Amino acid sequence: MYQSKWRIFTNHTILILGALFMIMPVWIAFASSTHTREFIFQNGLQFWPGGHMIDNYGAILFDPSATKGRVTALEMLFNSMVLGLGFAIGKVIISMMAAYAIVYFRFKLAVPLFWVIFSTLLLPLEVRIVPSYEVVANLGLLNTYTGLILPLIASATGTFFFRQFYRSVPDELLEAARLDGAGPIRFFIDILVPLSVTMIAAIFIIMFVVGWNQYLWPLLMTTDDQLYTIVIGIKQVYNSLYEGGQIPQFPKAFALTIMATIPPVLVVVIFQRMFIKGLVETEK
Amino acid sequence: MATVTLNQAEKTYPNGFKAIHGIDLAIEDGEFTVLVGPSGCGKSTLLRMIAGLESISGGEISIDGKVVNKVAPADRDIAMVFQNYALYPHMNNFDNMAYGLRNRGYSKADIESKVREAARILQLEDHLDRKPRQLSGGQRQRVAMGRAIVRQPKVFLFDEPLSNLDAKLRVDMRLEIKNLQQRLGITSVYVTHDQVEAMTLADRLIVMNGGIAEQIGTPIDIYEKPATRFVAGFIGSPAMNFLDGVISDDGKHVTVGDGGMLDIDHNIAGGRAVVAGIRPEHLSIAQTGQGMINATVRMVESLGAETLVYLDFGSKADNVTLRLQGTHNFSRNDALGLTVQADKIHLFDTESGNRL
Repeated sequence: MYQSKWRIFTNHTILILGALFMIMPVWIAFASSTHTREFIFQNGLQFWPGGHMIDNYGAILFDPSATKGRVTALEMLFNSMVLGLGFAIGKVIISMMAAYAIVYFRFKLAVPLFWVIFSTLLLPLEVRIVPSYEVVANLGLLNTYTGLILPLIASATGTFFFRQFYRSVPDELLEAARLDGAGPIRFFIDILVPLSVTMIAAIFIIMFVVGWNQYLWPLLMTTDDQLYTIVIGIKQVYNSLYEGGQIPQFPKAFALTIMATIPPVLVVVIFQRMFIKGLVETEK
Repeated sequence: MATVTLNQAEKTYPNGFKAIHGIDLAIEDGEFTVLVGPSGCGKSTLLRMIAGLESISGGEISIDGKVVNKVAPADRDIAMVFQNYALYPHMNNFDNMAYGLRNRGYSKADIESKVREAARILQLEDHLDRKPRQLSGGQRQRVAMGRAIVRQPKVFLFDEPLSNLDAKLRVDMRLEIKNLQQRLGITSVYVTHDQVEAMTLADRLIVMNGGIAEQIGTPIDIYEKPATRFVAGFIGSPAMNFLDGVISDDGKHVTVGDGGMLDIDHNIAGGRAVVAGIRPEHLSIAQTGQGMINATVRMVESLGAETLVYLDFGSKADNVTLRLQGTHNFSRNDALGLTVQADKIHLFDTESGNRL
């Protein structure tokens, strides 16, 4: 499509301004995280990086006292990673299998069951959080990774997406596989899963970020500092900024925030590539 | 290699629709059988019943003497080629052909040699590492056939395998399928709506309509002696001309339309209402005044080797087609007298449509 120079210029100006607007707070948080706390306290937020990046980030990563708890940022990052991965992988697996059952097996209640699953979209975690907590507590799973992940991995959204995808797979593939002697499990593993790679990548990206950003559930579930996720850690650090009559630890709080954003960004960047590559390859 | 026998095979869908109304059929070992008919006539359903992809509601289907009503598709020892190929898009062509063998537990070396052999027969040796999407339509169709032949099944089933190909390729693949089937001698059932495919491929042709087999026979038999008006109209292109008429009192003529009179060679009582069927290639132009029917030219199509003339006969427009060899010059509204040999006239009962 032909575009005049003037139009390209305005389009880009708007886009660049928008991007700057979005990125600026993150940049200021990053720049401010590289100064000493005294400097920030005296001079306010900083636009240019200072010389204490290694000190601040090192402290927050490896020194439990910097995060006001008994756990370092590195451990919290690990916890978040376990939650994010478990959440995303669990959701992908469960929703793929649920959708497989709904689409490919003719059982009486398939359609109503699908709508029951689908209607749970209307009930966010917050609605069922008290009974969920009760169940997990009775199972003795408080303060465990299992308890953190398991109650969250049923996914109506994922089931819905995979259902739509499976319905678009030509029936002849199933028939050809049946003639080739593939049973239901073989067909799922050999044919459907490889065909779903791009769907898996897309849902994995979304679910990882959602899982990583979970706040309320880990907050309820974990009373033990050792299981704190980084999102809770941030909250904890900001809560205790003004405690104890010391100069507030703004730079370290900012450093923790910046670190919390890195893994989701990486996941999006890496899987986005796979996602697009997959799309290009299958459509060719 | 095997026989396939259908004994009053029926298919009724859960919604009560009866797609197949009891079909009897005995396909011999090594025979190439073609099921042909208009869309919705049940030909694909019947094929899928033989494949085991559709359940059988009544009657029996046996392969090689063994009733297979309750046998899973994979255990019937059949292979099927689908219209849209149904290749596994994420596997390369080697794996596509090998998949069925792997599931059946063949050894690696065995699979390798069988797939290489099939690829050699189908001239796919250079394409085994590629994915199906990197091949042309004809090559994909070959891979689909390769997937069928590696297993050396008892029966090949083809579900309109050539309809997604362009016209020229369709002719080439048609010959290739025929060749391959004759070389391998495997019993085959082939579904198509294309009568040229049907006529050229079939050892035996089954014309289906509305869930029943209207006629079963060799292609030439069906062409020369169609059992019903439906078969007569369906097989042959351009389609047979049908003229409503009445048998004359002496039983030697049919009077058709406004003053047309056809000599016939049948033994039918006078006064009976019949439909006279005449193939376009059996009509010829009479000398002036000698025509059995007189019609006016409406449109002419010159195809080079032959000329198709569409004529108006009686009060009806465009109801007679004439097929002539070579090129001819006619213009619109030319009057033509047409004749036909008595033994080339097919008579059908007006009510039942059955051949008389």
